[in-house]
Amino acid sequence: MDIPVIDIGNLPADPVAPDALLGIKRQQTNPKRWNEPVWADFATALTAAGVELIEQKFVTGTFATDAGGTAYGLPHGVVIAKDAAQISTLMSTAQRYRVPVTVRGGGLTTEGESVAFGGVLLDMTGMSRVLSIDAANLTVRTQAGIFWHSLAEVLRRENLDYLSAPLNMTSSVGGTIGVGGIDVNSARLGCSADQAIALQVVTPTGEIVECSDTQNTALFERMILGYGQFGVITEATLKVRPYQPIAMHYFYYTSLATAIEDLQMLDANDASDYSGILTMMDKVVNLLVAFDSDEREAAFKVDWLHRLRGHGELGISLRMGLYYALRPWRMREALYLRERKNTLFPEFRRPEHTRSGKMTDRTVVFSRAVWKHWGSRQMVIPDLATSSEKFIDATLKGNAVCKKYFRYYTLYCVGIKLRPEHTAHYEMSCIPPDAVTRAYGCEFEPMMGDLNAEDCYSRDTLQSFKNEIYDIGVGIGASYYRFGGMMKGYIRRVFGDEVVDRHLAMKRKADPNMILNRDVVF
Amino acid sequence: MMPLRSRTYTACSGCSLCLLSCPVWRNTHDIRLTPHGRAKAMQHGATAIDLAESLDSCTLCGACEPACPESIDLVGMVTGLRGELALQREATPPFDGVLPAPTGNISPPTMLIAEQSMSDNPGLLRSIIEQLGGDVAVSVSSDSGTDISIALSDGLPIPAERLEHFLAPLRTTLRVIVADGRLFYALKNWLHGVTIASLGEALSALPQVRSKLSDGDLYVIESVAFHRDHERLISHYDSLRLASGCSMNLDLQRMAVPTTASARAHGREFVEEQVRWILQGRAPTRIVVEDLADIPAFQRVADVPVIHVGALL
Ligand code: SF4
Ligand code: SF4
Repeated sequence: MDIPVIDIGNLPADPVAPDALLGIKRQQTNPKRWNEPVWADFATALTAAGVELIEQKFVTGTFATDAGGTAYGLPHGVVIAKDAAQISTLMSTAQRYRVPVTVRGGGLTTEGESVAFGGVLLDMTGMSRVLSIDAANLTVRTQAGIFWHSLAEVLRRENLDYLSAPLNMTSSVGGTIGVGGIDVNSARLGCSADQAIALQVVTPTGEIVECSDTQNTALFERMILGYGQFGVITEATLKVRPYQPIAMHYFYYTSLATAIEDLQMLDANDASDYSGILTMMDKVVNLLVAFDSDEREAAFKVDWLHRLRGHGELGISLRMGLYYALRPWRMREALYLRERKNTLFPEFRRPEHTRSGKMTDRTVVFSRAVWKHWGSRQMVIPDLATSSEKFIDATLKGNAVCKKYFRYYTLYCVGIKLRPEHTAHYEMSCIPPDAVTRAYGCEFEPMMGDLNAEDCYSRDTLQSFKNEIYDIGVGIGASYYRFGGMMKGYIRRVFGDEVVDRHLAMKRKADPNMILNRDVVF
Repeated sequence: MMPLRSRTYTACSGCSLCLLSCPVWRNTHDIRLTPHGRAKAMQHGATAIDLAESLDSCTLCGACEPACPESIDLVGMVTGLRGELALQREATPPFDGVLPAPTGNISPPTMLIAEQSMSDNPGLLRSIIEQLGGDVAVSVSSDSGTDISIALSDGLPIPAERLEHFLAPLRTTLRVIVADGRLFYALKNWLHGVTIASLGEALSALPQVRSKLSDGDLYVIESVAFHRDHERLISHYDSLRLASGCSMNLDLQRMAVPTTASARAHGREFVEEQVRWILQGRAPTRIVVEDLADIPAFQRVADVPVIHVGALL
């Protein structure tokens, strides 16, 4: 038989590290599709119970993937959330017929956690109303499918703001409470999940339960950062605060380690209201520092500014100019950085979002920048969450992995203040077990081009990249923000069998047929 | 470089950013009735008939377009599909074959295309003409282009003779000011070498009008024209906001929250809900609108004077 010679043409380099999968068996990363004949009876029963089940392919297809864009699956039917009673009917019926239910908020998971591989997809964005605002006690009660941005729109009319939320405008409140939610003020205010005071939850068996630190505490512990395993969050009471425009300062570094040291120094001394690191590879490392009040800004200038080792825009431009002048063979990288600076910097200073030198709508500004200029429309952002002490080591190791795989990438580093009274919530979550007062997280994000572009990578490359990053976590004893879905092979390796088995036993008790967000964690 | 908003549903990544300012999303929270829902449905084989309810629900306010990071022609997508739908529904086109009377004096450099409702309000129309420089500067088109605007909204073909009749006098002027937001964008494509401005922009650029606005005013931008030229108009209105201190129907993304009163998509309740949302947390002493249809919409809900920007002087 003649085997034709195949011209490999212009296939991009596929730098799959031969050792990337050393510690973990190659496994099917997407779960098997659930496809049982009982679906028809379930659909009839659910519809008879008054719940609209949408089975048209063009609607189920709407939810075929998540922001990660590497996991694809189709639900048999979609339910658009209306209220807790409807979800209660859905859960009890699904439990009776053993039909899996996958819950989706903004769909901003990256590992297929909100992708339904058969069964029901529950679209929580149907529950997106703010129910009440208590301006005196600085709390809001909202339906949990709401996007943080939509919540901010309502709060701003009362001159209020949420405390901390993901930089992404279309993350949902409920989804975020389940996994964390990191903002550039998390070093001071903690993660978004920790802002929740009380939740209304529909359990996997269909009970509607209110829980908080004082009511049904065991359920509350498992709902906060619980990866959606123990119930569907239908309403949330969150802390809010008076709205403030913020004064931004940017410091530029050429050393990642120095920038992180300065970030941690500021955080440890409560020197700023906002702090974080955004990078262009490890060439230009931007430490962002911001303030809610003139007083805090003035104090920073007196006490801390002189201790920062970063440069201003002019200083970094001169340094980079010199660096690349001595390395003309890297001109392409220099041009890339310049082009990125020219498109990105004005985004942070758009006049309509600036008043008297202060940024008025940080969530819009950051989120637009994230969507337009970070990564690609496919979000591949493996992360490492560590104690303060391990963070530089973890980030430098992760950075080396990024360099190995991608020409262009970006890092996002931020601190997360912990609440000692919530230690129980943190078990088997993104908060690393050895973090005491503050944890740190770093996201590693390749800059990818469109299909057929030079910086387009195969799914295998991306998976290997994620594995290598996650292997660092296993090696140093870290956790991850996204440990479910395609990355769940790491769960036992980082959390240990004892913890995982205990949580599995709790899950089995709460969800006898393991229908809620099946295959995401367990 | 790819021209702005030239991409189609195939480019939709499902980011949901188009939902954030969409009035239909705000009122229904049903993803099927949003650009995201429509684009994804089409990626999975939906036809215009499948999307009929969704297409009918869109107000064409355009708030979704500037938000879309994929630069998809979201309004064009709706009108295109509406056209297909109209064929299947055997809809009657808005053209009766009778051409409007030709415009008389077209020597002034600016032509104003007023809406029918404005022509029915001669006092306001006169005030607008005076503000724009009087009869020596402005002539009013006798052709409001209402039928063309309807055809544009419904994705229906416009007979060549009718379109030429509408455009011919406009080609002889230097500047066209148009009250109807849907015509605004189409004219930008149809007329080259002629400056096209929305009536709201033209009036609110005048120093004498700006000086009449103050911090007690809520200024309501007509959303269709605004979103169609968002990148440019955002600075225009931002400077107006800064100079006068008035509040505006802008959300955090700086999209204009529409009342949807001039859209034919929804009933009174929907419009009132939008008006209540615009007013939430705001206590204006006066409401100044660019779109005449917004006057009754606000009057039904608010207890303060509501006037057209053309009546400010
Ligand atoms: S044009 Fe307006 S109503 Fe229609 S989808 Fe866009 S934002 Fe929604
Ligand atoms: S904003 Fe654009 S890309 Fe994003 S979901 Fe809407 S239509 Fe799709």
